[in-house]
Amino acid sequence: MTRWLEKLQQQIVSTQVWRSLFRHGYPDTDLNRALVMFSNVILHLHPVRVKRGALKIRYTWCLGGLTFFMFIILTITGVFLMFYYVPDTRRAYNDIKDLQYVVYFGNLMRDMHRWAAHAMVFLVWLHMTRVFLTGAYKPPREFNWVVGVVLLVLTLILSWTGYLLPWDQLAMWAITVGAKMAEATPVIGVAGPFGIQLGMRPDNDIRFMLLGGTVVGQSALLRFYVLHCVGLPLIAALFMAVHFWRIRKDGFSGPL
Amino acid sequence: MTANPSVPDAQQALKEQEMSRRRFFALVGWGGFLASMGGAAFGTFRFMFPEVLYEPPTIFKIGKPTDFGMGVTDTLKKERQIWVVRNERGLYVLVAICRHLGCTPNWFLDQERFRCPCHGSIYDVYGNVRGGPAPRTLWRAAINLDPVDGQVVVNFIQRQDPDPKSTPEGLTVLEPGREVAPFFITT
Repeated sequence: MTRWLEKLQQQIVSTQVWRSLFRHGYPDTDLNRALVMFSNVILHLHPVRVKRGALKIRYTWCLGGLTFFMFIILTITGVFLMFYYVPDTRRAYNDIKDLQYVVYFGNLMRDMHRWAAHAMVFLVWLHMTRVFLTGAYKPPREFNWVVGVVLLVLTLILSWTGYLLPWDQLAMWAITVGAKMAEATPVIGVAGPFGIQLGMRPDNDIRFMLLGGTVVGQSALLRFYVLHCVGLPLIAALFMAVHFWRIRKDGFSGPL
Repeated sequence: MTANPSVPDAQQALKEQEMSRRRFFALVGWGGFLASMGGAAFGTFRFMFPEVLYEPPTIFKIGKPTDFGMGVTDTLKKERQIWVVRNERGLYVLVAICRHLGCTPNWFLDQERFRCPCHGSIYDVYGNVRGGPAPRTLWRAAINLDPVDGQVVVNFIQRQDPDPKSTPEGLTVLEPGREVAPFFITT
């Protein structure tokens, strides 16, 4: 039995498909361990060599990693939600209700998306608090701190754009109020300083561009949907790649 | 785990037969993990099959039998994708889907033929093939009368599809065999 299994394993490992997927031996030597990192596009973000102490998971539990884990959960559950949700003001709310009460696994899928979103915002704050308190933002990591701040803002905007999609009263008024902030932008907002003097009107300022109209309506729903599902995740993924690459270059500041 | 009978210690033999605590927890842990992964995979797969469909109904009413005169009624093609046909014996409903590749044929009253614009299949008023590449005769949908208001109820999914015979005129199904319930109403 064991011999037969060994033979089978030997056969699988020697196929061209296997050898094109795994271009190195079992990672039990220093060379093979290094080759694992070199030859894998995802793993190569991780440094080839890491100090033993830097991988210890202490009381902060690798908060950045947890945040990224939430992002992955959100991406996967979000894609599944997109199969049933239509960003149309006439059916968006009903689609949400269908997801909750009719679609098999739909309620779990929606709840996972919702709670992972809350958790991601929460974890980003904790992660930044940890980085601040341990002084990990100091040079040479100051660039990555700034990238992290951009990621924080992206997380908040992702959260905010997702807020509108259920198209209930809470969503409506949260975005109505939030869009008021855009209106108060200096120079390019109608209610901001120098706005009116520079010819800003409710139908040509930055809020108008954000909502695609003067009120939160169909265009706003579609815009927020596109931003939430395509635009912002792509930008966030780009910044995350830079963020992780910088960690690889700068090294871990201490235990996770 | 194989018990070694050469070990004289009875307690040792018993110990090896029993599942150790570590192994038990490993089994429970991995079992639970795999079970939850399997459940999630199944649920996610099942998620892709909708429970409620927002599609045009497949069973619908089209009016009283007396609303349809002799010959082919062409007015329901766009909305319901059917033709209602009356002959001297009664009423049947043809599905307006070409049997070649699924286009919608048109009714030509002057020629008494259904002709498909895509690849030129030609059907007669019975749905028999009179030309073109169509491999089978037109479907007929199941119909019955609603007992309450007497309207014709069409079941678009339940279709009559007998094997046609090849004749000099084309692929043909003999009419008496087709004019049976639930695909024919004798009023």
